[in-house]
Amino acid sequence: MGKQDVIDAVKGLATQKVPWVPYSGVHSAFLIGEPADKFLKDPDLIAKGVIFAAERYKADGIPLLFDLTVEAISMGCDHKWWPDNPPSITGHPLDKKTLAESGLKVPGPKDGRWPIIIEAGKKVKAALPDVALYGILCGPLTLASHLRGVRIFTDVYKNKVLAKEIIDFCGEVAAEAARIYAEEIGCDVIAITDPVASQIKPETFLEFVTPATQPAVRAVKKAGKVSSFFICGDATKVLHEVATVGTDGFAIDEQLNLTYVRDVALMHGVGFGGNLKLTLALSLGLLSPREDAIVSLAAGGSTGFVFAPG
Amino acid sequence: MSGKLQIDVLTLDSVQCAACGYMMESIAALPMEIQEIIEYKEWSIKNKEGIGKFIEMKGRVLPTIAIQGELLFESIIPQYEELIDAMADRAPTPELATRIRMLRDKGFDFDNLEANLARAESGMHTRREE
Repeated sequence: MGKQDVIDAVKGLATQKVPWVPYSGVHSAFLIGEPADKFLKDPDLIAKGVIFAAERYKADGIPLLFDLTVEAISMGCDHKWWPDNPPSITGHPLDKKTLAESGLKVPGPKDGRWPIIIEAGKKVKAALPDVALYGILCGPLTLASHLRGVRIFTDVYKNKVLAKEIIDFCGEVAAEAARIYAEEIGCDVIAITDPVASQIKPETFLEFVTPATQPAVRAVKKAGKVSSFFICGDATKVLHEVATVGTDGFAIDEQLNLTYVRDVALMHGVGFGGNLKLTLALSLGLLSPREDAIVSLAAGGSTGFVFAPG
Repeated sequence: MSGKLQIDVLTLDSVQCAACGYMMESIAALPMEIQEIIEYKEWSIKNKEGIGKFIEMKGRVLPTIAIQGELLFESIIPQYEELIDAMADRAPTPELATRIRMLRDKGFDFDNLEANLARAESGMHTRREE
């Protein structure tokens, strides 16, 4: 498998073959006939599902998990488990309390869900030495949304000091998650995944998201691994900010035009990932996944491009 | 027509997609006085009904909040005051507009979040087989 191709592509380098990274997430549970909630609580099932998915899809790289609630749940956020989705956050501890009043602490490797994830990650890492393992962590603005609720999107304009305190704290949580994935599990690529960062203005991204991302970027560099910034939704308006956030590369979702994304990535000398249409092709079948893949591969080229679902 | 303000949230899936989830939450966390005068629903494009609504409304991106049929917040999670102003500007009567504007300083309220999300059928129609 093309583990080195994945690493090179994330860094923006040319590759002999375009590497393929299916973001299997809880689909790995489906593949082995287990509900997502049971899967995510059992290191043996996580390992079994991820290894199966990597082999089934002939992956060059694969995420250990794609679940952006790990950090929030490990800090005690109320949540709901689903049989066919990752958990969702249902309560926000900073709704009425300040960070100091809440007593929230950066969760370490022995806290919350981390021991299960670390155990699973070590099993997957040992079983798939030639596949690039992705550690996907919750980015600072999305984590701040989990802790503060939708109010954070008003705070970034009306209550900047409070917003900065919360988002910077979330950046420290992200840095520890990056360290755990990179050093304790040995993941090859660390993806700082901040889906809601597409839902703000570019100046807000630069003011809050860029600085809060730096501790995680430093943690990845210190571990000698490569980093990517994953963003969802229509991120067109913040794409230059994403490309210059400090990670080696970035990845986007199906709503973006891949040729535009490619040009922005090449302009900034970083890698980029996408853009197989997760909803229209893979889920709904409204487009042919095969033809959609050909379109993505033609647009992406072979410099800095990771072929992946968008 | 119910006389209430109609809000439609076009999503991928408010459970799976954090941006969609917080778009839904921005409506579900509006104060009780607002909840009484609005009707809102999640339209996930993971089912036929949601795809139909997306096409009918000429949706462009996900997630999007539409008020009274007008696409207003497209891939941008609104501030509380922006939502209040957008609703007041589109209220069917001047009295309702005034009532909404009086709540401009009230702020989000998370106390009834889960019940409000359930009322909007959030996350209940996001399965492909439905």
